[in-house]
Amino acid sequence: MEMFISAVVSGLLMGMLFALVALGLAIIFGVMNIVNFAHGEFLMIGMYAAFLTATGLSIDPLLTLPVSAGLCFVLGVCSYYALVKYLLKGPMLAQLLGTFGLMIFLRYLAMAIFGPDYKTVEHGVLIGKSINWGPIVISYSKLGTAVISVLAFIIIFWIMNKTRLGMALKATALDVEAASYMGIDTEKMRGIAWGLGGASVGIAGALLMNFYYVFPTIGMLFVMIAFAVVALGGFGSIKGAFIAGLLMGLIIDLGGTYVGPQHKFALIYLTYFLVIVFRPQGLFGW
Amino acid sequence: MRMRALKDALSFGDLPIVERICFAAFIIFCFVFPWVTEGSFAQAVMIQFLVFCLYGLGWNLIGGYGGQVALGQAKNVGMAAYTVALLNVRWDVPFWFSTPLGVIIATVESFVLGYFLFRLKGHYFAIATICVSLVWQQLFINWDFIGGARGIELPLRETPNFVYMQFASPTYYHYFAFLLVLGAILFMNWFRKSKLGYQLRAINANEDLAESLGISIHWVKVKAYCITGIFAGMGGAFYAVYYNYIDPFSVMHLELSVMIALMTMIGGAGSMWGPIIGAMILIPLDRYLGAWLGGSGIVGVDFMIYSAMVMVIAAYEPRGIWGIIEKARRKR
Repeated sequence: MEMFISAVVSGLLMGMLFALVALGLAIIFGVMNIVNFAHGEFLMIGMYAAFLTATGLSIDPLLTLPVSAGLCFVLGVCSYYALVKYLLKGPMLAQLLGTFGLMIFLRYLAMAIFGPDYKTVEHGVLIGKSINWGPIVISYSKLGTAVISVLAFIIIFWIMNKTRLGMALKATALDVEAASYMGIDTEKMRGIAWGLGGASVGIAGALLMNFYYVFPTIGMLFVMIAFAVVALGGFGSIKGAFIAGLLMGLIIDLGGTYVGPQHKFALIYLTYFLVIVFRPQGLFGW
Repeated sequence: MRMRALKDALSFGDLPIVERICFAAFIIFCFVFPWVTEGSFAQAVMIQFLVFCLYGLGWNLIGGYGGQVALGQAKNVGMAAYTVALLNVRWDVPFWFSTPLGVIIATVESFVLGYFLFRLKGHYFAIATICVSLVWQQLFINWDFIGGARGIELPLRETPNFVYMQFASPTYYHYFAFLLVLGAILFMNWFRKSKLGYQLRAINANEDLAESLGISIHWVKVKAYCITGIFAGMGGAFYAVYYNYIDPFSVMHLELSVMIALMTMIGGAGSMWGPIIGAMILIPLDRYLGAWLGGSGIVGVDFMIYSAMVMVIAAYEPRGIWGIIEKARRKR
């Protein structure tokens, strides 16, 4: 029973982070119907940015958050204007393999610069401390990550639903032509969508750096989780991404506890597969 | 009917004369190649090139003609390679029996998977194929009976052995791979004029329209996916006996699937010679760059170069190098 409760708690906490990662993917997909395969690589870059600032300036990894978020925002905007803008004109094959190319490029760039080693941040306010509540252990870093993830999620949700920018984004998502007749600069909106997608995953990267190690191929793992979350929640649905993120966290942690940690990732892929075959529109999709 | 198919496969009459000359030159080049370079690095590169031609020609069917981005060819390669290797190691089954079995396994897997996955379209389909191939790789890594993460090493026979496809000189492997590729090219030559070929291209151009013309989209896609599986399976079986060692990271890896797709995309997806052009550029680049940079310890420069090429091609000329050639030709 204790095992079950700790798995649930840790699963929910991780789930909030997954939700934040998936949010970026959902925004990009929602606004322009393109899947960003390089999303996991954005996370990796966010993590490296956090790692380098935290160790280079010897500050707390939490303080690196704006650096990672800003860098990934710029990265997202740049990849829209330099690449994705042109991809959108091409056929499906070009769109898919184009962002796939970006993913491979960023991954091996990181490999060439940082080498394949695992790197961690050792010192920080949250690192290495935990609440021991009977048999249940909750680490501060996971708790803090979860709290900040939810905050970031709420902020982005608020931007998307309550501001003029969010309305313009939504209008672009619904009908590009109609939006441009209304005086919305759709090109800019799409760039911003990529930037927001990048920023949310950059924040997630900086948070993840508190308790996880970074290596150049980490992106694949998280992008698959994010795909699974987004598919489960319904492509393009932000509310769905949050709930599906929590569910995915539960699946991973409960699966890791009861099925065996080596099958944890096979479970993610299996979940994605089952969702997409039996309920392709996801839980909240339409 | 059968004679007709054979005639279609063997006649290249409808191609422009330049293409026919290039094709003949390619065949002569492949045929003469081992005489010029005996047992060298160049020959190993050439064999790898031929194997990738085979994969690419197969992938071109579903990815190029059909426009369905299936990113999981590595699992078919791996299944056939594992069948051949495992039967050889455990029960001493000759290559010529285990290969058809391996190819059948790869094809049946493609059929079952395709049957379910082709309910999906576009992105969903692409991601689902990645998922499935990752699941297979995880299973193969954790499955001890087939060697787990350590892989399988095929035993070396004392004398060169045709039954187990073990030869002292790579020349024999070269000719075997060359025959496979030649067969694949002839098949593709038939395919592009066949009913299936036209149906697939119609699906690629406009799926709803194709359906309204009475084409059973699902069935056509599944058929094409199975054929792709056959090609990958044959490549895999050859891979197992040629390298004598396989593990889940060399034959089941996502990178292999990606490389096949990127290569075809760069050469020109949906054209007959695209995959060959792609392999001709990427494989030598990969191997020579690898050999050249190997000492300096920089890894992955090769992947960076092709991914950059793919991004440029996807953004500006989605039909690849072949598309550029065609455009130049039309202008003239």
